[in-house]
Amino acid sequence: MELTKSFVGYLILRTWKGILHLFGFVGGALALIQSTIRSLFRPPFYFDLFVDQCYQLGIRSSSLVFITALSTGFVMALQFGYGLERFGGKLYVPKIVGMSIMRELGPVLTCLMLAGRVGSGIAAEIGSMNVTQQIDAIRALGTDPLKRIVIPRVLAMLLMAPLLTIFSDLVGIFGGMIIAVTELDITPDFYFYEGVTSLKLTDFSLGITKTVLFGLLISFTGCYYGLNTKGGTQGVGKATNHAVVTSSILIVISDFVLTKLFWIFEKS
Amino acid sequence: MKRESNNQAVLQIRGVTKHFGDKTVHDGIDLDVYPGEILTLMGGSGSGKSVLLRSLIGLEKPDSGHIYFKGNDIVGLSEENLVEVRKRIAYVFQYGALFDSLTVKENLAYPLRAHTTLSEEEIQKRVVESLKKVGLEHSLNLLPSDLSGGMQRRVGVARSIILEPEVILYDEPTTGLDPYNTKQILNIILQLKKQGATTVLVTHDMHAIFTVTDRVAFLKDGKIRALGTAQEINSTKDPVIQGFIQGESW
Repeated sequence: MELTKSFVGYLILRTWKGILHLFGFVGGALALIQSTIRSLFRPPFYFDLFVDQCYQLGIRSSSLVFITALSTGFVMALQFGYGLERFGGKLYVPKIVGMSIMRELGPVLTCLMLAGRVGSGIAAEIGSMNVTQQIDAIRALGTDPLKRIVIPRVLAMLLMAPLLTIFSDLVGIFGGMIIAVTELDITPDFYFYEGVTSLKLTDFSLGITKTVLFGLLISFTGCYYGLNTKGGTQGVGKATNHAVVTSSILIVISDFVLTKLFWIFEKS
Repeated sequence: MKRESNNQAVLQIRGVTKHFGDKTVHDGIDLDVYPGEILTLMGGSGSGKSVLLRSLIGLEKPDSGHIYFKGNDIVGLSEENLVEVRKRIAYVFQYGALFDSLTVKENLAYPLRAHTTLSEEEIQKRVVESLKKVGLEHSLNLLPSDLSGGMQRRVGVARSIILEPEVILYDEPTTGLDPYNTKQILNIILQLKKQGATTVLVTHDMHAIFTVTDRVAFLKDGKIRALGTAQEINSTKDPVIQGFIQGESW
């Protein structure tokens, strides 16, 4: 009985802490977004930092995105190929692979990978700067951490998440074609014709629009946890962990909400 | 223990209070800092010395009270409006707080690029000049990770003074340093004082206090318990201060 009581008490305490953490995150992240938007249009503008972040966050993530997309294309083609073969529907593989990658798997898997690589990197880098007083030094030297740290990363993600997703879509569809040709006896011409021509502009725009939001979620979450890091190296570890978990959850939830909204929009 | 001076204070602290949760860090602090002097904030760990120092440049906001820099209250200023103050008041961080992704040269060029329209050639010249003042002119292209702790702090000083500020705030600049680097830092502080800089120093280092300081403010329980010259503080009969100086109690 005592054990049950203490377990229930522990659960209540954990839930309460979780709720407080959630409110803290939502409030803090909204304040960060508000300050960032306010700073965005005021000079000085650090274009060189933006370009550097495009390279660090975007270009340097391309190999990870390539491997993920290629594997996804392989797996999708294999699963649908063998699954649909039983019903004589093997020829639908190009359409299904193309549509599922373009609408869903390309954007979501690319951004989940970015949440892992970029979100953690942003939180760890800013967190380390915070605990070694480098963020304070930026302020003490009369410059704005939002302009030098947050805005270049947010803008870089705003640009690079959609670009990497386009890259991922192409690689994923190409990966599907390799399997279709080598394992399912589908010709490249047929795969290309069926896979690409059956796609609509809305399939493409739905996926890309999602990634704009995902890019913002990843960068703001990373920056928020980095800027609020406390407690030395252990704090940096926690901030990194929180940034990855939170941005991944936000991506999955917002993916459902956006998909539902797009369905309503498409139907109307 | 009152300063006899007709000088207008550069910094005036009036009724400053600060709380972190239930803990009262400052409980109505009044203090003046005069031009060209070295004022040391002394007290035990957690007595609010560093918080007060950070408040002088707007890195912390007091809960109430005023901090006047040359007659202008900086407490209510936004980050944007604090820029002008921060160009004139420099802050030297405890461990230098150098940007670890930038070379020494880039660290020093940072404030010049942010606040001046100097050419690259002029920036290079100013960087070398500033590094010469701290005896590290040959470290231009090194990264902070290539420097020892003492060298990092000296580069931190060089970066802070590159805009030729009127006031320099030092947060425990000699803590944990070997005697050589301690002496170097103290010499730099004295050298900058000779050039007219006003200095506020936070330190536990008794040698530093009694070597370079003009006045000492002793913080205890959120208030200034004593204020006077280094000699006055050293010879005070106050058992709390004597206990602290002798390392017998806090």
